[in-house]
Amino acid sequence: MTPAPFIRCDGIAKSFGTTRVIDNLALDIFKGEFVSLLGPSGSGKTTLLTMIAGFERPTEGGIWLDGYRIDDLAPHKRNMGMVFQNYALFPHMTVAQNVGFPLRMRRMGRADAQARVARALEMVELGAMADRRPSQLSGGQQQRVALARALVFEPRVVLMDEPLGALDKRLREQMQLDIRDLHRRLGLTIVFVTHDQSEALTMSDRIAVFNKGRIEQIDTPAAVYDRPATRFVAEFVGETNMLSGRVADTGPDGTAVDLAGGLRIRVRQPLEPGRAVSVCLRPERLHLGGAGVNVMDCRVTDRVYMGDHLRVALDGAAGPIIARLPRSADTIREGEAVTASFAPEDCWVLAA
Amino acid sequence: MGAIKTVWGILCVLFLMGPLIVVLPIAFNAGGFVSFPIQGWSLRWFAVLFGDPGWRLSIWNSLIVGLASSALATMLGTLAALGLRGRVGVPVVLARMVFLLPMATPAVVLGVGMQLIYARLGLGSTYAGLIIGHAVLSIPFTLLSVTAALASVDRGVERAAASLGAPPPTVLWLVTLPMALPGIVTGFVFAFANSLDEVVLTIFLAGPNQRTLARQMFLQLRDNLSPAIAAAAFTFIIATICIGITGLWLQHRRKRMMA
Amino acid sequence: MIARHLPDLKAAALVLPLVAFLAVFFLWPLASIFTTAVSDTEVSRAFPELGRAIDGWDGQAPTPAMQQALVADIRTTPQATMGDAVRRLNSQTSGFRSLFGRTQQAVARGTGPVDLVALDGRWADPLYWNTIRSALPPYTPRFLLSALDLQQGAEGIEVAGQSVHVQIFLRTLGISALVTGLCALIGVPFAMLMLATTGWVRNVLMASVLLPMWTSVLVRCTAWLIILQNDGVLSRILQTLGGLREAVPLLFTRSGVIIAMTHVMLPFMILSIYSVLIAMPKNLMPAAASMGANPIAAFRTVLLPLALPGIVSGGLLVFMTSLGFYILPALLGGGNDQLISSFVAEYAIRQANWPLASALGLILLIVTVVIFALYQRLSTRMAGA
Repeated sequence: MTPAPFIRCDGIAKSFGTTRVIDNLALDIFKGEFVSLLGPSGSGKTTLLTMIAGFERPTEGGIWLDGYRIDDLAPHKRNMGMVFQNYALFPHMTVAQNVGFPLRMRRMGRADAQARVARALEMVELGAMADRRPSQLSGGQQQRVALARALVFEPRVVLMDEPLGALDKRLREQMQLDIRDLHRRLGLTIVFVTHDQSEALTMSDRIAVFNKGRIEQIDTPAAVYDRPATRFVAEFVGETNMLSGRVADTGPDGTAVDLAGGLRIRVRQPLEPGRAVSVCLRPERLHLGGAGVNVMDCRVTDRVYMGDHLRVALDGAAGPIIARLPRSADTIREGEAVTASFAPEDCWVLAA
Repeated sequence: MGAIKTVWGILCVLFLMGPLIVVLPIAFNAGGFVSFPIQGWSLRWFAVLFGDPGWRLSIWNSLIVGLASSALATMLGTLAALGLRGRVGVPVVLARMVFLLPMATPAVVLGVGMQLIYARLGLGSTYAGLIIGHAVLSIPFTLLSVTAALASVDRGVERAAASLGAPPPTVLWLVTLPMALPGIVTGFVFAFANSLDEVVLTIFLAGPNQRTLARQMFLQLRDNLSPAIAAAAFTFIIATICIGITGLWLQHRRKRMMA
Repeated sequence: MIARHLPDLKAAALVLPLVAFLAVFFLWPLASIFTTAVSDTEVSRAFPELGRAIDGWDGQAPTPAMQQALVADIRTTPQATMGDAVRRLNSQTSGFRSLFGRTQQAVARGTGPVDLVALDGRWADPLYWNTIRSALPPYTPRFLLSALDLQQGAEGIEVAGQSVHVQIFLRTLGISALVTGLCALIGVPFAMLMLATTGWVRNVLMASVLLPMWTSVLVRCTAWLIILQNDGVLSRILQTLGGLREAVPLLFTRSGVIIAMTHVMLPFMILSIYSVLIAMPKNLMPAAASMGANPIAAFRTVLLPLALPGIVSGGLLVFMTSLGFYILPALLGGGNDQLISSFVAEYAIRQANWPLASALGLILLIVTVVIFALYQRLSTRMAGA
């Protein structure tokens, strides 16, 4: 028996005036889970988060927390920690006062609160900064204060709204690992909004991919990446080559698909013959050389040196394709004729 | 091109600042005339200014009326700014326009109107009447200043406070108002400066007991020009510079805090 | 449902104190200016009975009912009220005072009906009755008309004998326009100069705008009194520059008033333009130059159009404020340099002629509010853009 969901959103719709930003959305989140809401801006992911936090009310549908419906519950009674996009620290309070704020709201005794604040600041390695003002801290430090503040009162759920968006790349990657680590150590339930697919892939137990107010797919990072449910998911999560074609025949050892360019390739999924399909092929699944089931002759139209790999544009019977090749392929030149191959199990076919 | 610019700039600065600078030394003139050359240096006109019962009363009146009217205007303006915050629509635009209208109304017109109704309300020649009159004129300053301050308070910070367990009145008291405080103080200071400088409405509404410093100066300027006026002007300029520096400091503090 | 409207109710509760305060102490005074300017109860208060009896009169011979109503009014109306009414009627038709004096004496002697025509033949003349009738309506346009040098004649509205107020309105508009023009002329290049400088130079320029603006208008009047004196600083400078033998008179002249008004309003103009210019991207002028525009062309095609909203809104602000100037012309100007506000104050305080003061004030108020509405529209549009 599957456990009851900790947060349950059912039939949620939200309209601002005549614009409908979320439409008939359902999402279950389990205790201790790290769920990312991933999507482009305006896809409704932040709106859903603000509804879970209680700052907006759903126009239709309901939200349950631990079995209780919370639609009418004011934000300050929800006991959820939230980390905001620009941290939303109180500029007129010190770091310690910021972190102590939720404890003060809960009328915790002074000594107790001080100890908790100190521990929370230790956890984010900011023990020495307790008496500073937020404006005296760097972006990364402010981010960690916001994190400590959202965790110090042991909330039932932690909501994060693009918390790493303002940090530079290196710091962001460090913080991703730190947050993932905290999640595991403390057994937190985290709902994390981001538009950065690599961030979602790195951190989450499950990813909900948003598009135009709907969830297109909700699944583990590997499933979202390898078996995207829709063309939108395939293109939004990671880079992909989309090859359009038609199913020729299908059998026990796979399916043959005729691509628009005339090439016949084999894939694993059983499909109904005659259907128009799109074949997703991740650039890193292409190899040079003729060993493999699906082989094609191509010409190199462009090559870009990317440091840890080589990005190569190919043109062949499958149409223009991007390939991501290891550094060992460094010798290939523009205009050179090459043979590229890929395995049937590396193709993922979607209805066109 | 550069030389023309420099000369132009110097001329403009002279035009703007010259009058303020000219007043300063006259206040220390030992002689009885308000003109150059200075006949010797002395503080006697300050002694006259602060020693004369008439001047002293007017200084007290200015402080009382200024503080009371600014407090009233700041309170009303802050409440209204909180109520109008983040609201749109025709009624809100109209309300804002009416609230700012005292700024545009010629003081003489308001003076006539207020005297007409004060005759009925029995507020003529009273402190309360004068304080109310000054507060009406100051409300646009406080409203504008607090509105601007509230606009710069990040909604996210207030939401953060709510998510951390603060009910709405606590959010207002511990987060919104402290963050808007520099703007509220600025509004108060503007209102006070405005009240200090008010003459026209005071002429209509004040009795002999409510004669303010500005009114006293106006009468003296019209009737007999003595260096005591320059001493009063000197005091005014120094007060202005202090207020100005306070204002800049507040602004600087706010910027640093919000950065 | 109540929960959804709660924010609106809260907002209303917060705004309500200010609304109530301004309604009583701001809007009511303005409204009472309006009613004072158009109301005229001097005569109708004195003749309540006659007011009813004269209804439907054909304007020919006076009816007996009207005569007896007049008698009743003379017996019941207090002396002071009647005195005001008679003074007013006499100013319209001379001879009223003597006619009324005789009538009052005769009427006071008895309690019964009085034959007015027998008492004085003039009561048979419809002229006197018509005078009363024309003065009876409680509302009158005559103060507003008089504020514009017009009057109600037999043939409709006509121009009154001498032009007093129109000339002052024109003077007020003219001086305000001149001051606005001067402010723009000095303000535009100065704001651009501020924009072009950096560091301490800009700070000095900024301080020289802000300090005068914050300084009391009275202090600045004091300063200008000292500077403009007949053997004052400026006069001597001009004397030397012009090689003149006589001192140049400046105090209590129009030029002095205009110079000082420009000094008072200039900071507002400069800040209005500067706030628009500073908000514009810094690299527009270099960009224009990189595309081959010489400085003058770049100024004309890039900077000036961008600064225009600031110039216009600053101009409206300066013009609007200048219209209401009172203190400064009173201290620095001569008799011929006073603006409309001075006349409002004069009528109200010295002559206690509240209806005329209100009428003049009402016209000034309407002009100001119209400009203020324009200014508000422009500045909200600018903020929205």
